[in-house]
Amino acid sequence: MAQFSFAFPKPGTKKLLVGATLGAALAIPALLAGLLVFLVPMVNKPLLDAFIREKLGHVPATWVGTQWVYAAALFLAGIAMFTFAAITGGIFSWYERRVAARIQSRIGPNRVGVAGFLQWIADAVKLLFKEDLVPGEADAMLFRAAPYFVVAGMTLVLVALPAGQAIVVADLDVGIFYILAVTSFIVVGILLSGWSSNSKWSLFGAIRATAQVVSYEVPAGLAILVPVLMAGTLSTQGLIRAQGGWPWEWFFFRNPAAAVAFFILFISQLAEGNRTPFDLAEAESELVAGYFSEYSGFRFALYFLVEWANLWIIGAVATTLFLGGWQIPGVSAQTWASVRGAGSFPAFGWWALQFVSLGIFAVKTLFLVNVVIWIRWTLPRIRIDQMMNLCWKYLVPAGFAAMLFTLVWQMVATWAPIVEKITALVVFAATVWVTWRFLQQTRKNVSLIAHERVDLSNW
Amino acid sequence: MSITTSQYVGNVRDTVKSFWHGMSVTLSQVLRRPITIQYPDRLEIPVQDVLPPRYRGFLEVDTDICTGCQACERACPISCIQIEVEKDPANPKQRVVTQFDIDEAKCMFCGLCVEPCPTGSIQHTREFEATQRSVRNLVFRWADPIKPFPVYKVVKGAPYIPRAPLGSRVKDLLAQRSWDAVGTSYLPPEPLKPPPPPPVKPPPAAKPAAPAAAKPAAAPAPAPAPAVQPDEPKP
Amino acid sequence: MRTPKKLLAWTVGSAAVIGVVGILSARLSPAMAAGGARPLAGPFTIADAIFWGVAALTVGGAAAVALSRNIVYSALGLLAALLGVAGLYVFLSADFVAVAQVMIYIGGVLILVLFAIMLTNRIGEVNISNASMGWASGGLLSAVMLALVLVVAFEVPWNVRPSGGNPTTAPIGHALLQQWLLPFELASLILLCTLIGAIIIARKEIRAE
Repeated sequence: MAQFSFAFPKPGTKKLLVGATLGAALAIPALLAGLLVFLVPMVNKPLLDAFIREKLGHVPATWVGTQWVYAAALFLAGIAMFTFAAITGGIFSWYERRVAARIQSRIGPNRVGVAGFLQWIADAVKLLFKEDLVPGEADAMLFRAAPYFVVAGMTLVLVALPAGQAIVVADLDVGIFYILAVTSFIVVGILLSGWSSNSKWSLFGAIRATAQVVSYEVPAGLAILVPVLMAGTLSTQGLIRAQGGWPWEWFFFRNPAAAVAFFILFISQLAEGNRTPFDLAEAESELVAGYFSEYSGFRFALYFLVEWANLWIIGAVATTLFLGGWQIPGVSAQTWASVRGAGSFPAFGWWALQFVSLGIFAVKTLFLVNVVIWIRWTLPRIRIDQMMNLCWKYLVPAGFAAMLFTLVWQMVATWAPIVEKITALVVFAATVWVTWRFLQQTRKNVSLIAHERVDLSNW
Repeated sequence: MSITTSQYVGNVRDTVKSFWHGMSVTLSQVLRRPITIQYPDRLEIPVQDVLPPRYRGFLEVDTDICTGCQACERACPISCIQIEVEKDPANPKQRVVTQFDIDEAKCMFCGLCVEPCPTGSIQHTREFEATQRSVRNLVFRWADPIKPFPVYKVVKGAPYIPRAPLGSRVKDLLAQRSWDAVGTSYLPPEPLKPPPPPPVKPPPAAKPAAPAAAKPAAAPAPAPAPAVQPDEPKP
Repeated sequence: MRTPKKLLAWTVGSAAVIGVVGILSARLSPAMAAGGARPLAGPFTIADAIFWGVAALTVGGAAAVALSRNIVYSALGLLAALLGVAGLYVFLSADFVAVAQVMIYIGGVLILVLFAIMLTNRIGEVNISNASMGWASGGLLSAVMLALVLVVAFEVPWNVRPSGGNPTTAPIGHALLQQWLLPFELASLILLCTLIGAIIIARKEIRAE
């Protein structure tokens, strides 16, 4: 019997291919992080004014070009956020397929580039070259327009979604409310695509998707109210500033009801993003592909871009609200201010800290993304009546209970802050214990089959 | 439709429990090795070695131990085996096999020919890769009409019959042909030199030969007819 | 046959509305400048361009709602109009109201309207919009309304505040839960009654035996 090779990449892979893949794997996240860290914080009135005053030599208040500088900064930030969404969406498509394959004892795409990393580029190029079909009986204008509503809904969310201490395009005072609101554009796009396709599958998919999203907005809103009550603000950055870097300073641990609300929000977001087990709108066995059955080529790609970019949004919103966002352990607001320095432009250390905060935010978000993918390949699709039952009979009452408990809890926490601190430590310890028990259970499951052990080879 | 409080709480508990176990099971799958075999180009061992030992691939004939009994030919339900046995012109006591063709394109890999073989000469191997541009190149010829092989005589009391390693002969055969070789224009090989004596014999057997000739016509090609005729009077 | 007429109706209607608004605002702009507001005064900025875009979106959307023969296109026009209004709220520095507009009217009302359209029969041929347009009466009504709106806009002594990104969420919250708590709770009570009433009307009579 030949020798098994555990080498990665496989010996014999072309050096050029290895180089290209590793280059892409390092360059793409670096490029994205650079885009976010260096472009997005610039969308900031004091910084731009300082730029105009010191680099261009004009008085910002009276100069004619000021508005054009503002517009250019906004435009660049928009490009940066959209590029970020598109590329993360693409990479998630590859990653989800790999994880799905592992869960099903398969290997998954591993031919385009080392470990198949460049697969998403190949898929995107293939889709771009396909014919952009419009069914003969379809309402051509709405059919063409519908994907843009969906993409607009996804992109507008990114405006208020933070990714670091200063990495947010607009720190809106109504941030989280805005995120909830603009998500409805996705629903409009879904409804229009379903209706304009003039196909019964599409229409049924659209109606299911809409019923689902509209229903689950209620528990999602109730769950979002819990951290909003604890922070006293709707701003996404304000919500994160109200938390701390250490786990026991996160909202998730500070209040038992917040832990419940986290799960309510997470389930509702799965349903709003049409992710399994709530993917009734695109149930392959019943509705071909649901509301985008009739689409092909570029417009089809847009739907999938939104689906996978939504993964990031799901993770980022939950991280922002409950898991401490970008807060670095041990770095307080004073530290941020002192690192920034008194100059009109931030000092070098501030930019470095921005990278760290982005990294922390990304790690938490990617963990949740992994959980979403993991759930998708664990749970089967539920029936529509089960879905509605879950929403109205379980999540909505639990959401109300969590909200009312939080109201009482906030009064207790103001009266005796020590209660909150002790609870946070206890809940944190309980979470660690539950995680430990879960890993033990998993290890037991691996060893349940004879001669099986943890083995991450065979890529 | 209405449920009691204990049922309600029980539903929540069941959900959490099944979620816990389900997630754990799928996570344990992530940590295991995928069983996928990346055929054909990323194999750690040849794919033939991965197949089970009783896999029914191409038939292989070990011509060294073939007794020329034609049991396999009779057993074949779709007549994809064609065997000709003649007397060696040089040594009349020795019978030789001049033709032993197996049409692997036609074979349905049922294994019925393997069972009656007295010496185990014909066997299924684990070989299955023989893509050919011309389907006729899938006729495996185990006997050379120019250099026919003598039939094997079983030695009485021999402890075992020595057989070539299973699969080695098929591998040799496959190695000889390229996938885009030009196919032959006829199926069975025409004997280079038709045996001179038989043509004298047919006239008496002309009557039974005519209906008999119709039977081989159903076989792959009309060419066997002259070769069959000498055998007809024998029984 | 019908398309030219429809196009004509759209063109004339939009042109008339935009023309009247343009002329009146041009004539009244000195008055506005005197009153402290400053549209059309000073250089034309990007913000002005966006404002006119948003205003055109609102008016165009409203025209589409009224004039479109396809009910789904009407709903889409409603989307544009509501979105435009949300944009106008943003220009008024009313961020919470703007987002609430998007949330309630686009995320709720419009979706329900679309949903209702799609659940009705014969969705394949939705030509059931209002086709009769009383030009004379409609024009008269529009003129009167326009005059009324303009008079209100320019004659009422508005409490003008400098524009700025002052957050409005907290003041609204305090106003609703301190100063106007009773009306707020009464309004929610009325909504609750409406909800319960709708359920009672809509549900099947199961006790009737």
